[in-house]
Amino acid sequence: MNPPPLPNSPTVAKAHQPLLIMHEVRGGYGDADILHGVSLTVNPQEIVVIVGPNGAGKSTAMKAVFGLVKVRSGTILLAGEEITGWRPDAIVRRGVSFVPQVRNVFAEMTVQENLEMGAFLSRSVREEEFERIYALFPDLKAKRHALAGSLSGGQRQMVAIGRALMLQPKLLLLDEPTAGLSPKYMEQIFQICRNVRDTGVAILLVEQHAKQALAFCDRGYVLATGTNRYEGTGQQLLNDPEIAQMFLGG
Amino acid sequence: MMELVNFYLVPGLILGSIYALGAIGITLIFGIMRFAHFAHGDMATLGAYLALGLTTTLSLSPWAALPVAMAGTALLAILLDRLFYHHLQNRPKILTVMASLGVALMLRSVVQVLWGVDPQVYTTGIVRAESFAGVMVRPREIATFATAVGLMVVLVLFLRHTRWGKAMRAMSDNPDLARLCGIDNEAVVRLTWLIAGALAAAAGFFLGINTELNTMMGWSALLAMFAAAILGGVGRVEGAVVGGLLIGVIEELSVLVLPSQYKMATAFVILVAILLFRPQGIFQGKVL
Repeated sequence: MNPPPLPNSPTVAKAHQPLLIMHEVRGGYGDADILHGVSLTVNPQEIVVIVGPNGAGKSTAMKAVFGLVKVRSGTILLAGEEITGWRPDAIVRRGVSFVPQVRNVFAEMTVQENLEMGAFLSRSVREEEFERIYALFPDLKAKRHALAGSLSGGQRQMVAIGRALMLQPKLLLLDEPTAGLSPKYMEQIFQICRNVRDTGVAILLVEQHAKQALAFCDRGYVLATGTNRYEGTGQQLLNDPEIAQMFLGG
Repeated sequence: MMELVNFYLVPGLILGSIYALGAIGITLIFGIMRFAHFAHGDMATLGAYLALGLTTTLSLSPWAALPVAMAGTALLAILLDRLFYHHLQNRPKILTVMASLGVALMLRSVVQVLWGVDPQVYTTGIVRAESFAGVMVRPREIATFATAVGLMVVLVLFLRHTRWGKAMRAMSDNPDLARLCGIDNEAVVRLTWLIAGALAAAAGFFLGINTELNTMMGWSALLAMFAAAILGGVGRVEGAVVGGLLIGVIEELSVLVLPSQYKMATAFVILVAILLFRPQGIFQGKVL
């Protein structure tokens, strides 16, 4: 039983069409570019990870998709529709959700209210929507009336991801979801990502923990100094000695 | 004992509920737009005089004029934001604070030009206090307190249980994330001005009906309203209510130990003490 799609939300992308295409994107926040031509593709129901050294433009590339970066040239297509330069709220309506790395929950609101805000654009939220999220994050159900700010780091991350999933996005953008989490929670977040993917959502995520992320993703991109360096399946990238030496610490 | 209640506690609670109405607006504006709105007192003055204008020109009763004056001041608050504050929103906040000081002077001058500088009253005649089990209150005092509390309850319910009320809290909590959720920040800002303007007008009206109207009334109450907002915790509506009532009662009680000229100074002392010793206020608000 799927709820009706949001107003303006197009039907799900056709099977073999990539969901997201970034082509030769250049841009940054101010006058200086951080991205010097980044290209990547995300297919429906795929987990794609972006890794690379600090300052490679990983987060910036992801934020460019969500309209948070000034794109100077290049194109971004979502399900075949050009969204380059769109405002974030317009992109949300097209079925993309973004989870920032920090300050990604409403700390002074309850877990349930955080989820409600995630569905702000859909006007009325049905109980099934909450249940769908609580099924993915059983820990949160017992805490639904607790303030998000009172939760542990891992649980907060679950609230943040749950909030982003409320509108049933086609594409979920996660900016370093495991930063600062213990290995136990890191595994849990990765497992949640797989479960979310299996419900039909594509995920693009930026990761500091390159080895673990490449081991769990479907495909990966290695960025350095704002451009593409390598791409391939997670295993290919993990097994590439050159990448291992450059980015993964041998 | 009854003397303490009748001469200090009752007037303190009435004054406090008026401060609370002003402090709620100040705290909402700070929480959502992150600046101290120094024109809030004069916005209250304007609201009070708008009600006066309605009673004299349309010969409405003051209580019938109140909702109209609230609506008018609410719309005016949105207009003032559009004209003076909106285009400063991405500049350093001190510019908006200074602009609000200018708006304060401007509003006061408009009131002085339209209604003159002499004190005025809504209705003439003496109203005797009635005794309720020894507590002496005037009907207008009961009406003031009941209306103020009613407005606050409605506001709190709105913030807790409605979609736009929650959106206001979300934006006060984390504006960037609110934007990522697709919450229209501009609409939240307009809504905030609407509420703050209406409540400021109510505060001005109640000040006027319980004493008299003069063009400095709002400006004089501004310090106490700020003290109330900070005492309760900036950004916390329930804090502004508690802070307002406390400041009102403490101001009245201060007369027991201090010469009455120092009544106003008590709010200032509380303000300084809170900023020094507990800047987050009673309800864990934002630190200025």
